[in-house]
Amino acid sequence: MSKISRRDLLQYIGAGGIGVVGGVLYGESVQQNVELLIPQVVPPEDYSPGVATWYNTVCNQCPAGCGISVRIREGKAKKIEGNPVHPVSQGRTCARGQAGLNALYNPDRIRTPLQNVGQRGSGNFEEISWDEALTTVGSRIGRLKIDNEASRVRLLCGRVRGHLDELFLQFMNLLGSDHYQQYDFTYPSALMAANKMSFGTDVLPYYDIRNAVFLLSFGADYLGTWISPVHHSLAYGHLRQGREGRRGKTIQIEPRMSLSGAAADEWIAARPGTEGLLALGIAHALVSEGHYHGSDRDEWSKALQAYSPSLVSAETEVSEDKILRLAREFGTSTASLAIAGGATAAGTNAVASIVAVNALNYLAGNLSQPGGIIFNPDPAFSATAGSRQAGFQGMLDLIGAMKAGDVDVLLVHDTNPVFALPDNVGFRQAMQNVPLIIALSSFRDETTEMADLILPTSTYLESWGDDVPDPGVGFPVASISQPVVATLYDTLPVGDIVLSLARQIGGELPIHMRWGTMEEFIKERWREEYDQRGSEGEEQEFEAFWQAALEAGVWGQPGAVAGDQPVPLSSSMIASIADPVSRFAGDESDYPFVLHPYLTATFFDGRGANLPWLQEMPDPMTSVVYGSWVELNPVTADELGIREGDVLDVESPAGSVRVPALIFPAIRPGVVAIPVGQGHAAYGRYARDRGVNPIHIVATLIDDQSGDLAWAATRVKLKLTGERLQIIKTDGVTRTLGRQILGPENDHA
Amino acid sequence: MSTFVEKLRQYRKPGYYDKFDYHWTMTIDLDRCTGCEACMVACQAENNLPIVGEKRFAENREIKWIRIERYWEGEYPDVKMRFIPMLCQHCDDAPCETACPVFATYHNQDGLNTQIYNRCIGTRTCAVYCPYEVRYFNWFTYTWDEPLEQQLNPDVTVREKGVMEKCTFCIQRIRIAKDNAKDDDRRRVRDGEVVPACVQSCPTEALVFGNSNDPEAKVSKMMKNPRGYKVLEELNTTPSIVYLTKVHS
Amino acid sequence: MFDHGQPSYAEVNKDVLSVMLETGPKYWMLLGTTMSVAGICFFMPWIYQLFVGVGAAGMNRNAVWGSYLSNFIFWIGLSHSGTLLSAVLHITNSPWRKAIYRSAEAMTLFSLMTAAMFVMVHLGRVWFVHWSFPIPNQMGLWPNFRSPLMFDVMAITTYLTASSIFIYMGSVPDFAAVRDASTGLRRRLYTIFSFGWRGTAREWHTLGWAYTFFAIFVIPLAVSVHSIVSWDFALSIVPGLHHTIFAPYFVCGAIFSGTAGIVTVMYCLRKFLNFERYIGQVHLDSLGKLLITLSLIWSYINILELFSSWYGGTSFELEALQFKLTGFYAPLYWEMILFCAFVPLLILFKKIRWSWNKMLVISILINVGMLTERFIIVATSQPRKFLPDAFGFYFPSWIELSITVGAFAIFATLFLIFIKWVPAISIYEVKETLKPLRRDA
Ligand SMILES: Nc1nc2c(c(=O)[nH]1)N[C@H]1C(S)=C(S)[C@@H](COP(=O)(O)OP(=O)(O)OC[C@H]3O[C@@H](n4cnc5c(=O)[nH]c(N)nc54)[C@H](O)[C@@H]3O)O[C@H]1N2
Ligand code: SF4
Ligand code: SF4
Ligand code: SF4
Ligand code: SF4
Ligand code: SF4
Repeated sequence: MSKISRRDLLQYIGAGGIGVVGGVLYGESVQQNVELLIPQVVPPEDYSPGVATWYNTVCNQCPAGCGISVRIREGKAKKIEGNPVHPVSQGRTCARGQAGLNALYNPDRIRTPLQNVGQRGSGNFEEISWDEALTTVGSRIGRLKIDNEASRVRLLCGRVRGHLDELFLQFMNLLGSDHYQQYDFTYPSALMAANKMSFGTDVLPYYDIRNAVFLLSFGADYLGTWISPVHHSLAYGHLRQGREGRRGKTIQIEPRMSLSGAAADEWIAARPGTEGLLALGIAHALVSEGHYHGSDRDEWSKALQAYSPSLVSAETEVSEDKILRLAREFGTSTASLAIAGGATAAGTNAVASIVAVNALNYLAGNLSQPGGIIFNPDPAFSATAGSRQAGFQGMLDLIGAMKAGDVDVLLVHDTNPVFALPDNVGFRQAMQNVPLIIALSSFRDETTEMADLILPTSTYLESWGDDVPDPGVGFPVASISQPVVATLYDTLPVGDIVLSLARQIGGELPIHMRWGTMEEFIKERWREEYDQRGSEGEEQEFEAFWQAALEAGVWGQPGAVAGDQPVPLSSSMIASIADPVSRFAGDESDYPFVLHPYLTATFFDGRGANLPWLQEMPDPMTSVVYGSWVELNPVTADELGIREGDVLDVESPAGSVRVPALIFPAIRPGVVAIPVGQGHAAYGRYARDRGVNPIHIVATLIDDQSGDLAWAATRVKLKLTGERLQIIKTDGVTRTLGRQILGPENDHA
Repeated sequence: MSTFVEKLRQYRKPGYYDKFDYHWTMTIDLDRCTGCEACMVACQAENNLPIVGEKRFAENREIKWIRIERYWEGEYPDVKMRFIPMLCQHCDDAPCETACPVFATYHNQDGLNTQIYNRCIGTRTCAVYCPYEVRYFNWFTYTWDEPLEQQLNPDVTVREKGVMEKCTFCIQRIRIAKDNAKDDDRRRVRDGEVVPACVQSCPTEALVFGNSNDPEAKVSKMMKNPRGYKVLEELNTTPSIVYLTKVHS
Repeated sequence: MFDHGQPSYAEVNKDVLSVMLETGPKYWMLLGTTMSVAGICFFMPWIYQLFVGVGAAGMNRNAVWGSYLSNFIFWIGLSHSGTLLSAVLHITNSPWRKAIYRSAEAMTLFSLMTAAMFVMVHLGRVWFVHWSFPIPNQMGLWPNFRSPLMFDVMAITTYLTASSIFIYMGSVPDFAAVRDASTGLRRRLYTIFSFGWRGTAREWHTLGWAYTFFAIFVIPLAVSVHSIVSWDFALSIVPGLHHTIFAPYFVCGAIFSGTAGIVTVMYCLRKFLNFERYIGQVHLDSLGKLLITLSLIWSYINILELFSSWYGGTSFELEALQFKLTGFYAPLYWEMILFCAFVPLLILFKKIRWSWNKMLVISILINVGMLTERFIIVATSQPRKFLPDAFGFYFPSWIELSITVGAFAIFATLFLIFIKWVPAISIYEVKETLKPLRRDA
């Protein structure tokens, strides 16, 4: 799974082998906001002009949790690279990870606490002091606590893991409110639910792409956006060319070619919403062609009876031959692996589809096998990650509570539901009913703009924290985040804000809330974990461990691979899944096209849109920068008389957006695709008023089994507006014109 | 005079450029490359490439020392997308070098096609002569929105208007590695000690960099791969970058 | 030879010198206009561009060369025929040359200067232009003599120097005539300009051989200049530019447009300086025949160029060819063919060849065609080279268009100044062509 052997990792941790200098001293020394002409008369130990130092911490640009190393010169962060000893990133980063510096040095960061002085959402803020801000919040929620009304305080976060999650929980416990929830648009709720159904556990397993020989991806853009892109990319490189004489093969099934589709040997555009059915068809063929040898073979063929390749072929519009061939290759490859994500996991059939894909893995004998699905051991920290994800249903509940006037104080941190929820669920309107909204945020995104009070958080490059990557890498791993530079502005790390608020509320603080700073808190919790793991010893021993872990940025136990867990996957599961074909909002006759919103490798779910390097990074598949577009199949476009740059109204039953057309050769006719990420109404100069947000016009269908938003199940119609808009892109002519560019064998136009 | 003639003879001798001290070389495995563009952003970060803004981008005035070219093959449904990272090929017979009237671009003893910003007068001839279109001109003096300039790499010059620029194979990293080698009382830089920013970031390990004069170097071994080819080889520019073609299955 | 009767020696002096010595308000108005146009259209945009960067022009990453270079070649081209033609005609002893050569040579000089201006406008950092000259410096750095741009620097400076000397040398006896016809400051100045010319036999003899020597010297120089300009393009490996025919193509085109330019200038001299008596039908006829010949050669080379692109059969050349003939800029290409290959054929008709007005129109059309030719060379090839993904497109910005227009005003300004300082027609050589005077006249 990971390229780093257990010995290497331990060596690194033990010896601090990559020459980083401990961040503790540094962290102490840079706790100053005043910028001096000669910054340090007596410089900190590790500060020498002209010499770079590297600090290891954790990337926070997406939930993958890659370990990163940041290069510091003269107290300024200069470059982000992957942390070579971190098992997730192994020294690499994606483009978003690199662009973390743009977040740190973003000109639109919030620099002081702000108080809303105009109408809510008007963006009129006034600077206030931290004391004032904290007292305001403290007294308000303190009063609710005293009045036993603490349940009227709600805390909404993005994906928070590690001990910050625990801190939030303790804080809410201290208050006496159990309304702490997380919402992340990209959280794989359906995958969790399906895995719970299939394997009895809702911890993400490790998908061992690295050792697979045949990878069948149902809509999962594992190279661009799905779960852990950097880790998967490393694995993909190995799958292709890492084994002498044994090149792995990949197949991608999705209506619009993603990065992973482009990389695949075969790209199959099944009818949207039928991918799960296709998996069942393949499973049927796999069993009926005799590639499954389990004792329960008969039960499986009975359970799969209804999904004969010929029937499935008609529904999915994938030829029967192809289904049979896929089944054969999948069933006979030494290490095959099927994964599901993207639109496949975002229909009303999301869970059904993923269960079908899990069944495929089971039938091919891929569970707990190298190159298959490997079950992670318990995470390094007892607090399991992700368990507080509200999902779409949870958000609807929150909206209901807000509308009903049940929420007095809403604390929002690091999540942007105003942007990442369909317009018609009315999150923004519901916020109007909340008397006090407090945003803990570094940037003025759409949700933060609605706040009455903004408590500016330091970025992840200025904060202490820790993280348990999810999914794990097959063995227990925990990473440490440390500040790599002095806090730039009058901001505080979010953990420190929570601790201050806890003190404001007063009363008897639980033991963990007594720590003055997040740094102390983290260190103390690590000490406890360390002791719990049976490493009791002298004080000195932990200090050494801590120092080493801080230098390495990560701690792990490569040996502790989970054993063969019993896998409760039976054929009866097939009967219990819902309809494997997705329903769509909107009638086909009124809304002839399926809308395919997709996460982009550039902006992910939109959180990267305020980073100028990412705005200037050409979209990998289309080369477009600075804007949105709607992709159409060339034949469809021809029929409708649409040329590139024609501005279209894309109208769904839930709303409409106005966006220029882009002719895209690799999209199924009858499907139109709009990238997610642009279309911000706020979020700083680089993001604001640029492009459109397709999530806003998604109809609120939900997955039958997980209750999650089925964001790929909306139909739309297109209307030419007559306007034209220049789509800014870097591509000239995207055909080789018979030139020898891609290599001798590729010499065909 | 005689030394001049001698020098000229040596200079004119075919293969003059073959005898490099180091010969920095890159291999790019197209079977690994996924077009993710991590390399592009890494280069932008490392080499102080400007943020040109939407207007300039629309005018095609962007600066990307490494870019991913994309080519479609076939039509729906049998359509394929092919990515190919394109950066300065550090040609041993570089057309750009003969073009420059002031030697602002020339070949150094390490086989690099170097670019001397201070010397450039901005004729742009080199960019016309370069068949790989990897030279980027500073049409304006670009600035950074405060405080983004704090991120600028102090090891790399910030260029002004009127100057040509392009991939340097991260020469600053080569220099640091050489300095370290010198400080360590080693004469030579070891394989793997120089890692350009793009190579460093590439999450599929598609890029390999090293000294091809060293037969033991990883890059030398990669170059022997039967899938190896050079882009536009027929132009006889003798690029230093070997691409490994994508495998069709 | 003289359409309106032969003038006397005195009349020659008077006709030519009066242009210099008598300056009316019309002249000042004209000069004021050209100078303002040059200032507003050329220098102001250029100064703006110096401040913001060459990005003020329409060039971009795929099309790094643009109209500035088209203009550069155009003006270098226009410079031909002047000195070159004068020199060729001198050594072949063609008597019809004598009335026109001074202005033609001036044209060479001024178009070379205008061309040099475009080099400056084109450069990204013009303030370091001196680095392209081999000036000894403490850094021990020399320019790169392998660069065709260096050839350019050498060729153009040499040509400019030689042309200046050539025109100056031929003007010395006339400067003496000015000196003799004027008083005061002007007289003192022209005493210096004329090097104390007294018209002795020895002086005439020296002038004669020196002039012939320079005429012979200047011919290969002129041919080399435009060959070298063509190498800026042909020495690249850019499809559509990398053609061995480019040097003769450029030289031929240069003489072609230069000759057409002479016709235009002659027309103006006749019209506005009342030189009808000196510039007559014989000149027009000879220039017309020359134009047809040049046009035919030019067309032939164009066909050759298309043929070799097609015959080569590489994707690169075929693409370039196709874009040139049918792409966005194809209308310009066909306009060029019309103006430079077909329109000149009209000159075959004597009726047209003998009409000043019609010849003026044709000569202007030829130069419009030739300016287009240069634009096509620059704009259609280098944005579309080898890697289709990097194909680009170029369209000039209004700053470039303005500078293009302004350049004509610079040229006109220089010419207007010239006619006030140098006799626009060679007095002594025109006199050589007069029939011996009858004693009883
Ligand atoms: N970056 C940097 N700046 C510094 C210093 C530093 O160490 N680094 N040191 C500082 C100190 S202590 C000093 S003294 C100054 C020195 O500053 P400068 O006096 O500017 O010193 P140099 O650059 O050594 O020499 C100046 C020029 O003199 C030329 N030269 C050499 N020999 C002769 C000669 O015989 N005649 C003439 N006319 N010219 C000649 C050299 O080619 C060079 O161009 O710099 C100060 N500034
Ligand atoms: S995948 Fe990219 S953005 Fe996500 S954590 Fe890793 S480096 Fe950061
Ligand atoms: S790729 Fe272009 S810029 Fe680089 S050395 Fe070759 S010709 Fe020069
Ligand atoms: S643009 Fe600069 S480097 Fe290129 S040829 Fe001109 S002077 Fe040389
Ligand atoms: S080698 Fe360095 S300069 Fe060249 S493209 Fe890669 S990162 Fe950029
Ligand atoms: S980082 Fe690597 S995989 Fe990604 S585009 Fe660049 S070369 Fe290709």
